[in-house]
Amino acid sequence: MLPVCPLSSLAPGEALRVEADPPIAVFHTEDGEVFAVDDTCTHQDASLADGWLEGCEIECPLHASRFDLRTGQVDAPPAKKPVRTHRVLVEDGHIFVELSADEPNLPPGVSVAGQAATGGPL
Amino acid sequence: MTVTETSPSLIATLPGTAYTDEAVFAAEQERIFEAQWFCAARSSDLTGPGSFRTVQVGRESVLLTRNRKGEARAFFNVCRHRGARLCTEESGEAKRSFQCPYHAWTYDFDGKLVAAPNLTKMPDIDRVEYGLATISVQEWLGYIWVCLAPEPPSFDETVRSAVVERLGDLESIEAYDVEHLAVGRRIVYDVKANWKLIVENFMECYHCATIHPELTEVLPEFADGYAAQYFVGHGAEFGDGVKGFTVDGSEGLERIPGVSEDQDRRYYAITVKPQVFINLVPDHVIFHRMYPMAADRTVVECDWLYLPGVVESGKDVAASVELFHRVNQQDFDACERCQPAMSSRVYARGGVLVPSEHHIGEFHEWVQDKIAGAVPSAPTA
Repeated sequence: MLPVCPLSSLAPGEALRVEADPPIAVFHTEDGEVFAVDDTCTHQDASLADGWLEGCEIECPLHASRFDLRTGQVDAPPAKKPVRTHRVLVEDGHIFVELSADEPNLPPGVSVAGQAATGGPL
Repeated sequence: MTVTETSPSLIATLPGTAYTDEAVFAAEQERIFEAQWFCAARSSDLTGPGSFRTVQVGRESVLLTRNRKGEARAFFNVCRHRGARLCTEESGEAKRSFQCPYHAWTYDFDGKLVAAPNLTKMPDIDRVEYGLATISVQEWLGYIWVCLAPEPPSFDETVRSAVVERLGDLESIEAYDVEHLAVGRRIVYDVKANWKLIVENFMECYHCATIHPELTEVLPEFADGYAAQYFVGHGAEFGDGVKGFTVDGSEGLERIPGVSEDQDRRYYAITVKPQVFINLVPDHVIFHRMYPMAADRTVVECDWLYLPGVVESGKDVAASVELFHRVNQQDFDACERCQPAMSSRVYARGGVLVPSEHHIGEFHEWVQDKIAGAVPSAPTA
């Protein structure tokens, strides 16, 4: 379990990028739910934590791909692959994330440590 | 002023080149429009987060918007990456952010760089430092005022003071509740004249009886040539039988509740240097902003502001708008008539001001003081 931060330090409507490998994004929705997904958009390298949170949906700040935070499914292109989700636990007012064992769907040029990056500079 | 007029009644204007010289205009852009508070837009033009306008201030394009909290924000309209113009439209609604169409550098409504391709691989990039360059903003009288100077002059001492200088105090304008009035009509004039000709025209009434028959009918004292701007706190009184500030003297609209008995049936005019004219009458406020575009071209945006109920109910404001629209057309025609002659050899040393125009000399001194030293071969009057 990855300790993130006290729930009280992440206001509703806010997001936090957590340095992990790959980085993850934790969202506190206006409705008070907390979700965690891989922070990197599956379309191109951009931080979803910097995106536009509305309901249970995050819109990528770069090309407006939208993902359902509950399932990771793509709600709007240009992203095609879902974003990997992680299980969230809030215990004693503290946010914890259980990192998924699934393969992440990272965009071209982004890889986890120890793996060769696919793609490269133009 | 180095020219001594032989007739004591007359003082000199600026020389003709002050109205045509590109170097003079460039100095005015830098030392005046980019250095002073500049009234850029009506607050209600920006309806909410992401609603934007772009305006020309001096040599710069300025992007005006509201952040997610609804606060007015102003930025240089330049992408920090490779300098592309960020917003090319004059107005619109940005949905989530301002995104450069070139490489997709993306800024939130506070100007912070929130996304760019591969930005996460460049964690050393400071997102505020490489965010949009911020411009100081004030909201007053329901308008968004910006100042491009890194350290703006005092808003009180340069803007509010102009109103106090004219009306005697701030309460006199607060009575009109200009902030909460609604735009009943906006007309934009593209005037082929130097901005100073327009200021000078607005400051004097020597021309009133000649070119403004309708206005002089409503404000008979304008026939004596002394503008409402000549005496502190004085408002020109409506003529007998004039029911309202309308093109034919017919009844106006609902009176603004705060307007006092002393202010009723009177017209007050204020110049806020360098580019704002405000006219106060009991039932509306006419608010002009000038956008100097070139030495010989000025865009003037003019709002007619009424009580919100007047605008919402769709009351006919045509007779009311028509009066000052005609005045504007008459004035701008006069300015356009002067502009070509500014480069005549006859006007090389400029013209003259009669006693009822002598206060314009103070405006000339203000301009010359601001641009002193900025023009290599500054012409002197």
